[in-house]
Amino acid sequence: MDLSIFTEYGPRLLAGFRLTIICWLLGTVFGAALGLLIAVAQRYGGRTVRWALQTYIELIRGTPFLVQLFLLYYGGPMIGLRLDPMPAGLLGLTIYGSPYFAEIFRSAFRAVPLGLIEAGRAIGMTELAIVRRILLPVGLVSAVPALVNFSIILTKETVILSIITVPEVMYQTQYMATMTFTFLEGYFTLALFFWAFVEVISRLGRRLERRITRHLIERT
Amino acid sequence: MFSLSTFLDAFWPLTMAARYTLLVSGLGIALGLVIGAFVCVLALSKSRAARIAAAVWVSYLRGVPMLVQLLVVFFLLPVIGIDVPAIVAAVVTTAIVASAYISEIWRGAITALPRGQAEAAIAIGMRPRDSWIRIILPQAVALSIPQLINELILLVKASSLVSVVGVMEITRASQAQAGVTFRPLEAYLAAACLYLAINLCLAALGRWLEHRMAV
Amino acid sequence: MVEASSVEIRKVNKYYGPFQALKDVDLTIPPGKVTCLIGPSGSGKSTLLRCINFLEEYDSGEIRIDGQLIGYEAPGRKMSGRKLRAMRRSIGMVFQQFNLWPHMTALGNVAEGLVRVRGLRKAEAETRAAEALAKVGLADKMGNHPSRLSGGQQQRVAIARAIAMEPRLMLFDEPTSALDPELVGEVLNVMKTLAAEGMTMVVVTHEMGFAAHVADQVAFMEKGELVGVDSPAGILHHPEDIRIQGFLRTYHERNSF
Repeated sequence: MDLSIFTEYGPRLLAGFRLTIICWLLGTVFGAALGLLIAVAQRYGGRTVRWALQTYIELIRGTPFLVQLFLLYYGGPMIGLRLDPMPAGLLGLTIYGSPYFAEIFRSAFRAVPLGLIEAGRAIGMTELAIVRRILLPVGLVSAVPALVNFSIILTKETVILSIITVPEVMYQTQYMATMTFTFLEGYFTLALFFWAFVEVISRLGRRLERRITRHLIERT
Repeated sequence: MFSLSTFLDAFWPLTMAARYTLLVSGLGIALGLVIGAFVCVLALSKSRAARIAAAVWVSYLRGVPMLVQLLVVFFLLPVIGIDVPAIVAAVVTTAIVASAYISEIWRGAITALPRGQAEAAIAIGMRPRDSWIRIILPQAVALSIPQLINELILLVKASSLVSVVGVMEITRASQAQAGVTFRPLEAYLAAACLYLAINLCLAALGRWLEHRMAV
Repeated sequence: MVEASSVEIRKVNKYYGPFQALKDVDLTIPPGKVTCLIGPSGSGKSTLLRCINFLEEYDSGEIRIDGQLIGYEAPGRKMSGRKLRAMRRSIGMVFQQFNLWPHMTALGNVAEGLVRVRGLRKAEAETRAAEALAKVGLADKMGNHPSRLSGGQQQRVAIARAIAMEPRLMLFDEPTSALDPELVGEVLNVMKTLAAEGMTMVVVTHEMGFAAHVADQVAFMEKGELVGVDSPAGILHHPEDIRIQGFLRTYHERNSF
C-alpha cells in the first residue's frame, strides 16, 4: 500500500477526527444532561410523568440508532424539522444516549443509602437542599464508572453519523477509500486507530473514576 | 402530513425483510456463543499467551465501531480469496463482535460464583472436569441468561448497520421503501415499530427465562 | 446545662400494611433524663424512636414535644414541611449506620446543617463544628473523610453533627450495634458525657450495661407493645413481667459464653 495517500489525505482525516471528538463530547454532555433531567423527573414526578418518561426510554432503547437518525434527518423535514447533517447528528446522539444516561442516574440515585437522606431530614434540611447537597453529589459520584463506560460506547456510535453525511473521521476515510480505491487499508487503519483511541480514553476514564470515587470506598 | 396508509403499507415489505434481520442477529449470536465460549476458555486458561490472545481479541472487538469492522470484513474476505455474498460478511462480523461480549459475560458469570462452589465439589472428591460440568457451568449459564438476551437485543439493533453493505434487512428495506414512495417518515417509522416489536418480544422472553431460571 | 425537652407519647399506633408495628404505645420521657428502649429485634423500638422526629409517620395517637404535636396539625391533618423542619431542628438523631455524608469531611458533615438549616456563615459554622468535634474528642480528625475514619470515630462525628445544632432532645437508634466491640466504649463515653450535661436522651440499645448505669428509666418493648417502664433496676434486676424475664434470660445466656 502506498503510504503517501495518508500524507495527501492526512489533513482531511485529521479534520474528521476533530469532528468525531466534538460530536462525541457534545453528544455525551447533552445526552447526560437530558438523562439527568429525566432521572430527576422520574424520581420526583407524578405517575403520569413517570409513565411517559418510561415509555420514551423503552421507545428509544428498542430501536437502532441508525433508524432514529434516518427518522430525524429524512423524516424530520416532512413534519417541518429541517436540520443539517451536523445538528441532526448531535440531536440524534443526544436523544439516543439520553435513556441510557437516565437509567445510569436513576440507579445511582437509588443506590444512595436512604440513611444519608434521612440524616438530612433529621436535622431539618429542605428536600431541595437534600437533593443538591446529598443526593446529587453522592449519586453522581457513584454514577461515574457507568458514565465513563457509556460515553466510551458513544464514541463508537459517532461513526454512524457518517451515514447521514456528517464529515467525521469515518466519512473522511470513506472519501479517501473511494478516491484512491484503498478500502481495506483505509478501514483497517481506521479500526486500529479507533482501537487505540478507545483504549486510551478507557484508561483515562479509569483514572478519573478512581480519583472521583475515592471517598466512597470504605476503609478496609 | 403523515399518511397512515403509506405507513401501514410499508409493513409488509419490512416484515419480509425482518427475516434477514433475524437471520443475521440469530446466526450472529449462535456463532458468537460458540466462539465466545472458546475465547472464555482462553481467558481463564493457565497459559499466559492464551490469556493475552483472548484479551487482545476482546479489546479489539469492543474498541472498534461495528460499522468499521463490518467494512473491514466485507473488503477483507474477497482479498483473501473468499468471494461470498454480503450477508456472510454481515453474519461473520456480528458473530465475532458478539463473541467478545459473550466471552466477557461468561467470564463474569463464572468468576461471580463463590469459590466455595468449586471447593465443595473438589472436597467430596469430584474430578475438576466434573466439577466444571456438573457444578460451575450450569450455574454460570443460568446466571448469564439475562445478559445474553440483552446481547441479542443489542445485535438486533446493530444488524441495522449491515444495510450499508446491501443486505436487504429491515433498515435497507425501509430505505428502499422511502425511495419508492418518497415518504421517508412513514417508512422509517414503520421500521422503528418493527424493531421495537422484535425487541419487546425478546425482552419478554428474557424475563420469562429469568423467572424460570431463578433458583 | 442545656435546655431540655420532654416528650409525651400517647396511644401511638403504626401499621405497615396489615402488620401493626406499634400498638397503643404510651410513654412519657421526662426532660433532662435518659430513657433506654430495650427489647428483642423487631419489637418496634426503632420504629417508635423514628416516630418521635417523624422520620416514620405514625398513623394514630399523639407525640408531643414540649407540648407541641409533631407531624400533624390535628389528627389526620399533616403538618407543613416547613413546620416539621423547624421542629426537627431541635431534635438530634444518631443512626445505627452513622449515615455520614461520604463526600464531605468530618468538619463538612458537622457544618452542613449549621449552614443550610441554621443559616450561619460558613466561617462561623466551621468554628462551631470544630468545637462540636473537639467535644467528642475528634479535634485532630476534622479534615478526614468518613472513609478514613474508624466506625467509632464515624459515630462520634455523627453525634457531633447532631449536637452542633444545639438540640434539646437526642435520639439514638442502636448507636453501637454496627461497631466492632472494641470501639463501643468510646461512643458510650461520649453519650455519658452528654447525659451528664442534662440532655434529654432516648436510646434504643442492646447495651444492657449502658442501660443499667446511665439510664434514668428503661422501657421494654415486645411485638409493638410497650410492656413495662421502670427504673433500670426495676426492669433489669426485678422484672415482674414474664416477657421481660424471658428476654433477659436469653440475653444473659448469650453473653455467658
